[in-house]
Amino acid sequence: MLQFDRSSETLPIMTDDEYAKFCAFFYRQTGIEYHDNKKYYVERRIVDRIAKTNSESFRDYFTMIRFQASGVEMQALVNLMTVNETYFFREDYQFDALVTGILPALVKGKRRGDPIRIWSIPCSSGEEPYSIAINILERWEQADSWDIEIHASDIDSRILAEARAGRFSARSVGRVSSALLSKYFTRKIADEYQICDALRGSIDFSLVNVIDPVQTRPFRNFDIIFCRNLLIYFDDVARRETVEMFYDCLAPAGYICLGHSESMSRMSSIFRPRKFKDVVVYQKPGPGEPLP
Amino acid sequence: MGLVKGPPPAAEAVPLAARDIDALLIDLVAPDSGVRRHAARDLGAHPDAAMALCDRLQAETSSSVRAVLLTSLIRRQSPAVAARLTTFLRSDDTPLRNAAIEALQEMPDAVAPYLQALLVDPDSDIRIFAVNIVATLRHRRAPEWLTVVIRSDAHVNVCAAAVDGLSEVGGPDALADLHALRHRFADNDFMEFAIDTAIRRIGQD
Amino acid sequence: MSRVEPFARNPNDGSKRVLVVDDGTTMRLFYRSVLEAAGFVVEEAANGVEGYEKALAQPFDLMIIDINMPKMDGYSMLRAIRADAAVRATPAVTISTEAGDKDVIKAFEAGANFYMVKPVATRELTEIACLITGARPQ
Ligand SMILES: C[S@@+](CC[C@H](N)C(=O)[O-])C[C@H]1O[C@@H](n2cnc3c(N)ncnc32)[C@H](O)[C@@H]1O
Repeated sequence: MLQFDRSSETLPIMTDDEYAKFCAFFYRQTGIEYHDNKKYYVERRIVDRIAKTNSESFRDYFTMIRFQASGVEMQALVNLMTVNETYFFREDYQFDALVTGILPALVKGKRRGDPIRIWSIPCSSGEEPYSIAINILERWEQADSWDIEIHASDIDSRILAEARAGRFSARSVGRVSSALLSKYFTRKIADEYQICDALRGSIDFSLVNVIDPVQTRPFRNFDIIFCRNLLIYFDDVARRETVEMFYDCLAPAGYICLGHSESMSRMSSIFRPRKFKDVVVYQKPGPGEPLP
Repeated sequence: MGLVKGPPPAAEAVPLAARDIDALLIDLVAPDSGVRRHAARDLGAHPDAAMALCDRLQAETSSSVRAVLLTSLIRRQSPAVAARLTTFLRSDDTPLRNAAIEALQEMPDAVAPYLQALLVDPDSDIRIFAVNIVATLRHRRAPEWLTVVIRSDAHVNVCAAAVDGLSEVGGPDALADLHALRHRFADNDFMEFAIDTAIRRIGQD
Repeated sequence: MSRVEPFARNPNDGSKRVLVVDDGTTMRLFYRSVLEAAGFVVEEAANGVEGYEKALAQPFDLMIIDINMPKMDGYSMLRAIRADAAVRATPAVTISTEAGDKDVIKAFEAGANFYMVKPVATRELTEIACLITGARPQ
């Protein structure tokens, strides 16, 4: 169970109707869907924000997040509501496929001098884009022959600040070998590993809400998109919209890698499944290629 | 070479979302599939564009555009949209027909008013589709409608679909009709299997 | 399930793998029970995209594909497979409720090796699966 300092005596602060209205609003803004069984989770966080903002009631607070021009409070609430769980080398069979299959196949269609562009969305506290970088540098023998850009985005501004700072706990780096730890990290205090400046400086971090077309529109011509462990929080329509949006973010013949519990077959048929070793990823059709 | 920090992606001139419905409707029939895709997505925000999206769906040949049209129609679902989509069920164009099925399955409330008529359609494939929708409806009377089908429909595949539906939503009320159905389609392996499965599932609840 | 039993002692050694692709739950269960009783190993997929994905992930000796399915219909799935060098050669049977000449022609043009009309009988299904995969029928 969740542990909170406040007692639950202050609950409920919202009626079932208000909860439904709030969920509909939050869903429209973020794509994230909460069922009835999440009422406690949601309410605890709203109580926290009501106290911090000195709001009178749930209704007051709800008005504020809907109409505040700066959007500051909505961002604060989003930061509190998201699940940021992540760690280095998570689902690393996909990074295997990246360096042994996807990148070699990708560069066959590229000219020298073309950049390779990778987008990690959502990146949470940065473990995913840094893992991509380390895997490429360590394990792809052609890494030095290409310009590789890694862009990383998340809806949560607080977690992005952590990603930029690049300080990680022992738990987060638990799957990183000691050789790689000493090569790419410095140990500050007992439970803090600082990623090296070279890596920190090579990744472009940005605040992006994946379901907002205005925010995603600048993201074009990517060769590979990692979208892992986000769509599980979305409902069916938001999932469809998201992967269809990725279609326009990808260069022809570009690839999408989803998390292991996120099956493209339940969302869309516009990508072609491609197998690299034991990993299935999805590819946008190349120029002049018919769709599946 | 190696890792380089790319410039942050920057927005191009005018965000396309700002365009009005008339400009989008022109884009919806543009020769370039990327332009059509954008128009189809942005028109999902305009309630008045639903019928234009249906028109486009009927003519569209690019599957990536068709996918976006479906998503926008699911967002804009209404009985009028559902009524139009049901006419595509009769199409010879297999992808269009299945696109309509896919979208309609996502809008059970919008299609509900037409189900009674579809359930007695002369075309057995339309009846199969209607039965599949009824089975996914969270409607109090869904089990009753499915029971009427297995009591009266003469077509084996329609009844088989209804039995499949009853195995999901049926209750003890359906058992007598399920047993009776055995005699109507004796010697049919699949029907026998489907009836056994449904009876077993209902018994487990 | 008396009808399935005669095949339970089939000498088929369980090395032949069949992928069944159909959006109907009971339908997939039926294929599974008939084919497993005949000694096949069975995998299921609920639409054409999932079917294509599974066909890529592991080799199969036969695919049984329904035509009308959401997300990707049977013809589209079959055409995609026939165009993909990694899985192109897997034999396929399409199954549909439509029995017109047009439908049969469409199935063969998409790359089907055989065509069946619903409802499918147990014996017919087992015989065709054995014939196409070279498994020994009883
Ligand atoms: C569980 S983490 C996944 C991190 C990483 N991809 C991984 O697999 O380890 C989910 C992240 O999705 C972010 N997120 C949730 N909704 C989002 C949205 N609409 N747009 C962008 N990011 C979102 C959350 O802030 C959170 O950091």
